[in-house]
Amino acid sequence: MSTALPATRSLALPMARSVALPIALLVAWQIAGTASGNPRTPVPTKVLAAALQLVESGELPLALLQSLGRVFVGFAIAAALAIPLGLAMGAFARVERNVDPLVESFRPIAAIAILPLAILWLGTGTPAAILIVAYAAFFPIVVNTVAGAKRINPTFLRAAATMGLSRLTTMRTVIVPGALPAIGVGLRIAMGVAWTAIVAAELAVGAKAGGGGSGGIGQMMFIFYAYSIELNRIVVCMIAVGLVALALDRVLRAALRWAMPWTR
Amino acid sequence: MTPGSPSDRFGTALAYVRTMAVFVVAWWALAAWISNPALLPTPLAVVKAFAELAGDLELFQHAGISLARMLLSLALATLLAVPLGLAMGLSRALDDLVDPVIEILRPISGIAWIPLALFILGVGNALPVFIMTYAAFFPILLGTVAGVRSVDRRLIDAARTMGVPRGRIVARVVVPAALPSLLVALRLGVASSWTAVVAAELIGAPSGLGYAIEWYRELLLTPQVMSFIAMIGLLGYLLDRALRAMAQRFIPWAGEARLS
Repeated sequence: MSTALPATRSLALPMARSVALPIALLVAWQIAGTASGNPRTPVPTKVLAAALQLVESGELPLALLQSLGRVFVGFAIAAALAIPLGLAMGAFARVERNVDPLVESFRPIAAIAILPLAILWLGTGTPAAILIVAYAAFFPIVVNTVAGAKRINPTFLRAAATMGLSRLTTMRTVIVPGALPAIGVGLRIAMGVAWTAIVAAELAVGAKAGGGGSGGIGQMMFIFYAYSIELNRIVVCMIAVGLVALALDRVLRAALRWAMPWTR
Repeated sequence: MTPGSPSDRFGTALAYVRTMAVFVVAWWALAAWISNPALLPTPLAVVKAFAELAGDLELFQHAGISLARMLLSLALATLLAVPLGLAMGLSRALDDLVDPVIEILRPISGIAWIPLALFILGVGNALPVFIMTYAAFFPILLGTVAGVRSVDRRLIDAARTMGVPRGRIVARVVVPAALPSLLVALRLGVASSWTAVVAAELIGAPSGLGYAIEWYRELLLTPQVMSFIAMIGLLGYLLDRALRAMAQRFIPWAGEARLS
């Protein structure tokens, strides 16, 4: 884009371009949905109506809050375990050597795969969902924390050693601040994974426990699928899942930037 | 001890064996204390179940089905995402046009599509393949776009100066230079679709590893459940290893591209 163009024009064109395809797709969806003749087929207008209804009745906000509560608890547990462990692994080769086999053995096992075990041990309620979230969020945080703690400029470590800093002080004043950006990356990845995991866990619990009411957005979707067959409402839930994922990432990113102004 | 020296490698192997031994002993002690094989079987019971399931090939049948679905999904996702990613990386206008749609869809995880897809596609092969293709599509697309963008402008300019036609610039300059980041993207795609397969099969497939886990859970045969979980982990690990080996073999200029 040439700089000679007026500012308004150079902004308006990409703006128009960026909304063109989404709008075109929405219109196409509406036309195709209406043309299909099946009253159950979701179309944008009906989805919007369903969304308003679900928000007004308080069902959707409640389900989202339930899911979010589980995500926060699970995420907090994962962070509380993974950050200290990751720092210890990154700072001390001996710890890494002895713990790494365990981490690497369990890391490839998807969190959803242990859901049947979680149900077996903890039932179909909130604790099982929290376990899945914590398990899913744990590994990205550990891996990134280890990488961050290892990537510290060795000169800083030597300087700290030369000045006779104790291991604990070195950890607090050199390793932790140095590893923070990487920990932040790990937390962001973990948050995304945790949100995906909670939806999966609630869906599967809904599917496999015969709708045994544990609540949450995933469960809500499953009920709309299996019992009341309301596709418009399922689409509303999907959009809500996407919006929350986006919002979680934005909030976490802003929080990390605020907490670590030097990474800006 | 320097890293990579024989004695160091021996030490690492020793630490591995030691750690896993401690883990198994702790598990065994816990299982003995709980003494309820449906809740927590002993490691021996799980190994036996694993051997049995492997012996009558049930383990490999389900694994084969899941793997076949994943390879198909990965092929589909690559076929869709790589050309689109190349085009988006090369053309700013197309990127402006398509990127908003991608950014709207991407936060909706593949797993969130399961209920709707279940309604449209029903229980069967189509559902897991759709979910996995969707899950693998976005990492591959974003990786391709990033790879194309990261190509050194001077290489393209040099090719252009020498009068190389546009198509050949893409094939000979852009694609090879973008390959390393494409391979990282492919690994991310594999990881996310392998996660999705379990969820999809758990809910909406009559076969595969996810289905088998759920089947044995309902029968309260926990050793079998754990065997299948172990298989999922093992295959996930081997897939990643295979892709990494492939990267080193076919694009040695990439070096060790790291996943975050």
